Amino acid sequence: MRIFHNLNVNWMGMRKTFYIVSLVLFLIGMLNVVFRGLVFGIDFKGGSEIVLQFEKPVDVAKIRNDLANIGLGAVEVRTFGAETGILVRTELQEIPKEIYPKVVERIRENINKIMPGVPYQIVDSTINSITVEFTNPDTTNTMIAELFAQGFQTGKVSEELDNKQMLVRVGIADWIKEVLREKVKDNPFQVVKEDRVGPKIGEELKRDAVLAVLLSLVVILIYLGFRFKFIFAVGAVTALFHDVLITVGLYAVLYGVIPGLNLEIDLPVVAAFLTLVGYSINDTVIVFDRIRENMKIHKTMPLEELINKSINQTMSRTIITGFTTLLAVFVLFILGGDVLRAFSFTLLFGIIIGTYSSIFVASALVLDYAQKAKKKVQFS
Amino acid sequence: MKEYRFRIIIILAAIALSIYLLYPTYLDYQNNKHIQSVVEQKKQEILKQNPQISKSDLEELLTIVEDSIKQSDPSIVENRLKRLKLGLDLQGGMRVVLEVNTAKLLEKLANNPDQVFNSTLAEAKKEAETSDESVVEIIARKLQQKGIRLSRYFGTVRQDDAEIIAQLKKDSEDAVTRAMEIIRNRVDQYGVSEPSIQRQGSRRIIVELPGIAKEEEAKQLLQGTALLEFRLVKDPDFTYQIMERIDKALAKVLAAGNDSLLAELSDTTKKADTTAAADTTQKQLTEEEFRQQHPFFSVALLDPQGRSADAFVKEDDRNKIQRWLSLPEVKKEIPDNVEFVFSAKPVSTTQDGKKVYFMYLVNRQPELTGGVVTNAVATLDPNSSAPIVNMEMNSEGAVEWARITGANIGKRIAIMLDGKVFSAPVVRGKIPGGRSQIEGMENLDEAKLLEIVLKAGALPAPVDVIEERIVGPSLGEDSVQGGLNSALFGYLAVAVFMIIYYRQSGSIAAAVLILTILFILSVLAGFKATLTLPGIAGIVLTIGMAVDANVLIFERMREELATGKTLKASIDSGFSKAMSAIIDSNITTFFTGIILYQFGTGPVQGFALTLMIGIASTLFSALVISRLIFDYLASKGAKISIG
Repeated sequence: MRIFHNLNVNWMGMRKTFYIVSLVLFLIGMLNVVFRGLVFGIDFKGGSEIVLQFEKPVDVAKIRNDLANIGLGAVEVRTFGAETGILVRTELQEIPKEIYPKVVERIRENINKIMPGVPYQIVDSTINSITVEFTNPDTTNTMIAELFAQGFQTGKVSEELDNKQMLVRVGIADWIKEVLREKVKDNPFQVVKEDRVGPKIGEELKRDAVLAVLLSLVVILIYLGFRFKFIFAVGAVTALFHDVLITVGLYAVLYGVIPGLNLEIDLPVVAAFLTLVGYSINDTVIVFDRIRENMKIHKTMPLEELINKSINQTMSRTIITGFTTLLAVFVLFILGGDVLRAFSFTLLFGIIIGTYSSIFVASALVLDYAQKAKKKVQFS
Repeated sequence: MKEYRFRIIIILAAIALSIYLLYPTYLDYQNNKHIQSVVEQKKQEILKQNPQISKSDLEELLTIVEDSIKQSDPSIVENRLKRLKLGLDLQGGMRVVLEVNTAKLLEKLANNPDQVFNSTLAEAKKEAETSDESVVEIIARKLQQKGIRLSRYFGTVRQDDAEIIAQLKKDSEDAVTRAMEIIRNRVDQYGVSEPSIQRQGSRRIIVELPGIAKEEEAKQLLQGTALLEFRLVKDPDFTYQIMERIDKALAKVLAAGNDSLLAELSDTTKKADTTAAADTTQKQLTEEEFRQQHPFFSVALLDPQGRSADAFVKEDDRNKIQRWLSLPEVKKEIPDNVEFVFSAKPVSTTQDGKKVYFMYLVNRQPELTGGVVTNAVATLDPNSSAPIVNMEMNSEGAVEWARITGANIGKRIAIMLDGKVFSAPVVRGKIPGGRSQIEGMENLDEAKLLEIVLKAGALPAPVDVIEERIVGPSLGEDSVQGGLNSALFGYLAVAVFMIIYYRQSGSIAAAVLILTILFILSVLAGFKATLTLPGIAGIVLTIGMAVDANVLIFERMREELATGKTLKASIDSGFSKAMSAIIDSNITTFFTGIILYQFGTGPVQGFALTLMIGIASTLFSALVISRLIFDYLASKGAKISIG
C-alpha cells in the first residue's frame, strides 16, 4: 500500500496562503489567550483539590450547591472518572479570614459535644491550624482521639508526657470534607486524591516550566545550527515556536468548550509541550535532510523547485511517522484516564500542527530568507 | 552466518539481560498474590474465631502473618528490592513537601525579643512569601535599616552581623536535619515499606510514603515535636529474670493453644527453618523442641558471653514480640514500672541480610525529658580521637542530672527519641554542671546522629507542609489499568497499521517493537527507577515514535527498490541513508528529555526517563536488531515484501 506516491505539488508556490492560515490560527489563539486567559492547574496556581469517591452515585449539582455558600468563593465541582467520583477544587490554599471563625466555632461545638463543659483555651491560631490547651494531658489525649475519629485532623503538639496541647489542622480540604460529611450524610465517601500546592511552589514551577521550554528551543537551535546551516536552524525553531504558541492558543480557545475535556495547564501538560518541541522537530529534520541531499545531487536546480521536490519525496514518510505516533497518542487520549487527558490532547493536537509546520512553515521561511538574501543557500 | 555472529551474540545478550532484570518483578508479582491470598484467608479465620476483634488488633495480627511469610523466604524481600517500582501515582501513597519555618525558628532562637523584633519579624515573614530572599536575610536587612545590630537578639555581643547571619542560616539548615531524623524515626515505627525521605535545597524535605492506606494517620507522623527522654536501663540480672518468666508463661500459652494463630505462626517459622535446624542437631535440644519450650528466647537471642542482657531481635520478629508482650498471661509477669523497647537503628545484620535490633528493658518513667538539653556537639576526643558527643543542659536540668548520675554510677541510661533507643551509655560518675560527654560511638556519623537526636529535644524543628499530594490506592489501580490498556491497544493499533502498510517488513518492525518495550522496562528495573503514570504515557508515546525509524528506513528502501536495485543493496542503502535523519531527529527529542528531567519533579521525571530510555532502545532495535533480521533474510535469498 502506498500513499502520496510520486507527488508533484508546488508547495512553495502556496506558501503565502499557508502563512495566512498560520497567522490566523496564531491570532485567534493569542486573542483568546489575552481575553479569555489560560487556565492553570493547581500545580502552577497553587490551591487545593480533593477527589472524593462516594459509595453511591452522586448528584454534582447538589454538591455544587452544598459547597456554594461555605465561604470559599468559587469552588469548582465536577465529576471525576465514574459517576461516584467528585473533584472539588479551589484556588485558595488557606481558609479565608471571614470563614476562620466559623471553622473555629465548629471545633468548639465538637469539643463541647464530646465533653460538655470541659475547660479549655485556644492558645495559638495560625492560618493552617489552631492549638487548643486543656487542663490535663489525659483530656487532651481523649479529645485528640475523639475528634480524629470524627474526621478532624488532630495531633499532639509534643510527645512529652505532660503535653496538654492539641493541634487541629484547618486546611481547605479539611473544611470541605467536614461540610460534606455534614450535608451528605446518607452517602459516605472516601478521599481518593488530595493535592495542596503552596503559592510559592506554584511560582517556582511556573518559572521552571517556561525556562525548560525556552532552554529546549535554544538547545535545538544550537544543535541544528551545528548540523545544518544556521538559517535552517532558525527556520526550524521558528516553526517550533509556531507549534507551541498555536497549541497554547488552542488551550485558551477550547477551555470549557468541550464538556468532559479538562484543559488545564499542569505539570504533565508542560511535559507534553516539551515532548512536542522535541518531536515536531523530527519532521522538519527529515525534510531538511532531504533538501541537503538533493542539493548535492541537483546542483543547478533552483531552490524553490528543490524544496518542492524534497517535500514531495518525503511527504509519505512525514505523514506516516506522524500518523503512527498519533495512533498511539489517540489511544492514550481515549484510554489513559482523566489524569493524562490534557497531556495526550496536547500531543495529539501538537503533532498535527507540528507536521503541518515542518512542511509549510520551516521550509518556506528558509526559502523566503534565501530569496531575500539573494545568495545561494548552502547546507553544512 | 559467521558475519552475523557478533551481532546475534550482542542481541541475545541484551534480551537475556532484560529478562534477567525483569524476572524479579514477575516473581514479586506472584509473591504478592500469594501473600495476599494467605493474609486474606487468615483474616477470615480470625474473624470466624473472634468476630469481635478490634480493627487495629486484626491489622496487627495480619502484619505478623505477613512478616512471618516474608521471614520464611528471604527471596521475597530480595525480589521486592529488585522489582520495577511503581510510583506513588500508581500504587497510591502520600507525598509531602515540608519546609522549615524559618520565622518560627528565629522567634525561638531570639534572646529577649521585644515589640520591635516581633513587628520586624512579621514584616519579614510577609515579604518572604513573595521573595526569593530568605527570612534570615530579610530580617537582617530590616534590622540594619533600623540601625539595630543583630547581636541585640541573636548570638553574643562580640559577634558581628555577618557572623550571626551565617550562624542563623546554619541553624535553619540544622533544623532540616533534625526534622528529617524525627520523621525517619517515626516512619520506621509506623512500618511504611520503602519510605523515601529526601532533602531538597537547604530548607525543604520531601517525604514519600507509598501505599499508605491510612493517610490521615500518616499526616500525624509529620506533626508535633519529638519526645526526647533519658530512661534508666534495668540491670542484666533483673532483665534476665523477667525474660525467663516471660519465656515460661509464653511456652504455657502456646502449649495450651489458646492463641491458635500464634501457635500456627511458630509453625510456619519452624517449617522455614528446617534447614537451619539440620545443622544444629548436635545440640541437646533440637531447634524445634527449643522453640516450643523457649519461644521467647528463640526470637530474642542473648549473647551468653555478653555482660548485658540486651537481646538481639530480627527486624521481622519485632511485631511478633510486641504481640506476645501484650498477651495478658505475659503482661502479668512484667512489673508495671518497666517496659521493653527497641534500638532505633539496627546493630548488625545476619548472614542472610536481615537487620538485627537490640531490645532493652527500661524504666517506664523517664528520669529527664529533652527540654533540658540546650546544646549537643559531636566531635572527636582530642586525647583518644574517638568520636564523642558533648551535651549541655540548662541549670534546672543540670541539678537533676547531677542527682540522677550520682545515684546510678555504673548503670546505663538510654537516650530515647519517640520511644526508640538511640544510645545507652554507662554512667561513669556524677556529672555536676550539666556538661556531659557521651562515648562509645562506632564512628563520627553515629556521633552526629546522636547530636541530632539530642538537639531534637533541645530545639524542635518547626516545619510547614507546603505541598501535599495523596493518591488513594483505588485511583492508583485505575491508573495502572488505564495505562496498561493504552499500551496494549496503542501497540496493537500501530502494529496492525505497520503490517497492513509494509507487509512483511512491517511485521518485522512490529515484532521488534515488543523487544523495544521489553528493553525500556528492564532498563527501568535495572536502574531502580520508578514507573509513574506519565512514565507509562512515555512508553505509549515511544510505541508510536519507535516505528518512525522503521518508517524512514522502509520508505528509503522503497525508493531504492524503485531505482531497480536488488533487495540486498536496497537494504544497505536504505539503512545507511536513513541513518542521519534518524539520529538527528532522535537526538533532539533526547535533549528535551534531559531538560525535562532536570526541571521536572516526581512523575514528570518518570516521563522524561522513559522517553530517553525509549529513544535509546528504539535506536538499538531499529538500527541493530531490524537490520540483522533484514540482512539475514536477504542473505538466505528470502523475498521480503515492503508493501
